[in-house]
Amino acid sequence: MLNFIVRRLLAILPVLLAVSLLTFLIASLLPGDLAMVILGDQATPENVAALRHDMGLDQPLWWRYLSWLGHVLQGDLGRSFRTGQTVLQAVSERIPVSLELMLMAEFVGLLIGVPIAIACAARAGGAFDRFMTGSAFAMLSMPSFLVAILLIYLFAVELHWLPATGYVPFTEEPLANLRFFVLPALTLALAEWPGIMRVLRSDMIATLQEDYIALAKAKGLKPSRILFVHALKPSSLTLVTVTGINIGRLLGGTLIVESIFALPGIGRLLVGAIYTRDLVILQGVVLLVACGFVIVNFIVDMLYAVLDPRIRHGHA
Amino acid sequence: MTNLAAAACRRAPIFLVAAFALLPLAEPAQAQKSGGSITVGQELDIPGFDPLKVGVYDTSTFTAAAAIFDTLVTLDDKGEAAPKLAESWTHSDDYKTWTFKLRKGVTFHDGTPFNAQAFKENFDRQKDPANKCRCAFYITNVKEVLAPDEYTVVYNLTDPSVNLPATITIQSQNNVVHSPTAWKTKGDDYNRNPVGTGPYILKSWTAGDRMVLEKNPNYWDKGRPYLDRIVLKPLPDAQSRFASLQSGEVDIIWDDENDADNIMKAQKDPKLTVHTYKGSGAQVYAFNTKVAPFDDVRVRQALVMAIDRPKMSQAISNGLSRPASNPYGDGSWVKCKDDGALPYDVEKAKALLKDYGKPVEFKMLVTATPRGRMIGQVLQQFWKRAGAAMEIDQVDQATIPSRAFSRQFQLTPWRIVDLADPDPQMYANFRTGSPLALAGFSDPELDRLLDHARVTADVGQRTEDYCAISRLINKEAIWFWTFQNTYYALSSAKLKGFPKIYNSVIDVSNTWLE
Repeated sequence: MLNFIVRRLLAILPVLLAVSLLTFLIASLLPGDLAMVILGDQATPENVAALRHDMGLDQPLWWRYLSWLGHVLQGDLGRSFRTGQTVLQAVSERIPVSLELMLMAEFVGLLIGVPIAIACAARAGGAFDRFMTGSAFAMLSMPSFLVAILLIYLFAVELHWLPATGYVPFTEEPLANLRFFVLPALTLALAEWPGIMRVLRSDMIATLQEDYIALAKAKGLKPSRILFVHALKPSSLTLVTVTGINIGRLLGGTLIVESIFALPGIGRLLVGAIYTRDLVILQGVVLLVACGFVIVNFIVDMLYAVLDPRIRHGHA
Repeated sequence: MTNLAAAACRRAPIFLVAAFALLPLAEPAQAQKSGGSITVGQELDIPGFDPLKVGVYDTSTFTAAAAIFDTLVTLDDKGEAAPKLAESWTHSDDYKTWTFKLRKGVTFHDGTPFNAQAFKENFDRQKDPANKCRCAFYITNVKEVLAPDEYTVVYNLTDPSVNLPATITIQSQNNVVHSPTAWKTKGDDYNRNPVGTGPYILKSWTAGDRMVLEKNPNYWDKGRPYLDRIVLKPLPDAQSRFASLQSGEVDIIWDDENDADNIMKAQKDPKLTVHTYKGSGAQVYAFNTKVAPFDDVRVRQALVMAIDRPKMSQAISNGLSRPASNPYGDGSWVKCKDDGALPYDVEKAKALLKDYGKPVEFKMLVTATPRGRMIGQVLQQFWKRAGAAMEIDQVDQATIPSRAFSRQFQLTPWRIVDLADPDPQMYANFRTGSPLALAGFSDPELDRLLDHARVTADVGQRTEDYCAISRLINKEAIWFWTFQNTYYALSSAKLKGFPKIYNSVIDVSNTWLE
């Protein structure tokens, strides 16, 4: 087991290196740079060149990457030239917001997806199943920015039930905090539940074909007991993986949702850094987010190994 | 008007009734109410306030800076320079030296006294080459600032400026006055902990979420400000920003013509007020007259005459964009009886191109945004109709300056920003030898007019000069203008006292709630 953990951990390093290198290259392909943003559109080429020199932006690309990497290895993710904040300051201020959003979205997604999946699997091919499979497909095709605006118009502008935008920390006003998170979490969850539902549904249908289920039925167990106790647990292995991978997808979703609902999270920080070409923040945040994603996947792998011994012995 | 009288007018609006009596539907004088709190929905996260760090302020930072800081001079309702931290000013005969007498008894929020020394330190900090301030570029015309006594500040300029007080009114990185004690003691942290003399004090600021400003109880202008608190929130998405205004979570939002649908919705909503202001600048385009086909005046004239501005306005902003026939804008004091604008005339354009003889094909730089592309496509259609083939060259907004400065373009979009005086930009954009004279066009008469206008004090004479300049540029068609800079703010109808959107700044520091 220890051997397995070490092997998995070593495999993470090249992934992080590749992510940071790719971010660096893509960000360098963006036209314009921080010097132009800081100087404004009336600045002369000489001014821009001087500032680029001061910020080291005139150094060759490989040199800039290596020096950034050197600092990171010493634990220094850097400081934004524009705001003066360090990457760690900026991220630690904003990570609670994104975490809360992702957890709530995942929770609501499971809350919608799991019961529907069970109901569909119980009567696979029935009217409810066909309707829900169709709806799931429709929901998957709805872009989140559209869903977000529709929810805002319905619940904030028309009904006045929930706030359209805004945020207060949970520690200050827990109830108000949750109210602010309902619509953004629902927006993300509406894109999440179809995936959850379809994965669990098909696994459940397969499980329900197993001999031991037939045996349970023959013994006269209540259908609800068969569904929730005997069929659900063995069917949820794929769901665990999907939930883990979803965290990565959700991180992508927060870029849009946090901007629309004005939540001060990581997504907003990234979007802002891209617009202002703030490479220090961009690089640092992407690296930390990649770390988070890789760690979640690592945990999922571990969980898998716990659930299925064949995997940790390397002959799955 | 003396300062005392000005102050009296502010406090007793009844004096103003006489001035408004000529208007048929004059609003009754309103009494300002104290107390209450408003929330402002902004476009962007504020990066900070230290000019050494942020370089130039953006639209969101302007709003905060207008509340936290003061400038020496402000603009009154007629757009003329009025006292703020400076009570009066005089100039030398050549307009190269300006002397400001400062207000006494003003202190910064941290207790530091405001005086000439404090002001000079602000200026020197920006100007000092060792500080490498990104803001220094905007004060290159100021040689030095002196503080001969505690309440006197002297500007020594490299070039004459007949309208200096009005040009230093914008609440920008260069003009707002910071507490020297604060930046010296806070160092790197000063950027996010600004200290000024303004009507509001920074109370708290959560990055990306909200900035809370509390009323300054010791503000020098007694009786002001009116609101107890201003909360600034970045709401980056235009749709949800407007929804937040509709649902009452915010009281005023920033907006622009790209958001024409919501502006028109707000116009019909009795609970909302649309504030709009046509500034003193325009959206403009420069031909590179050094390269074919724009080395021929007939081609340039033909393209300008082929543009149907009202139709273009309909296409890009539901008709909200206001056509411009000169670079000055309705908000400028330059009003021309004849600006020499070329008429919209497709037939004449066709004839000019036919006369030119060769096929007209060229590339135009267009910003790679939905709006940029739309503008490019509309112009492409107009010009196709006249017989010219334009190819759209999409580039990122940030690369346009470098392409323009290195003259790697045939036709480029540009912007004339709102300044209280046309001289700085007109001189830079059209004087022979200026790096910003993008058209590469040189004309002795144009140079003479530009030189004359910047050293003439008489407004009538200057207006004549600038209108002659407009006629000359329009006739030669080296640049053209499509629409005036227009600014929008949408607010709850209860918000009162919102001023004109001078210099594109949404200034809520003197508003109150009804």
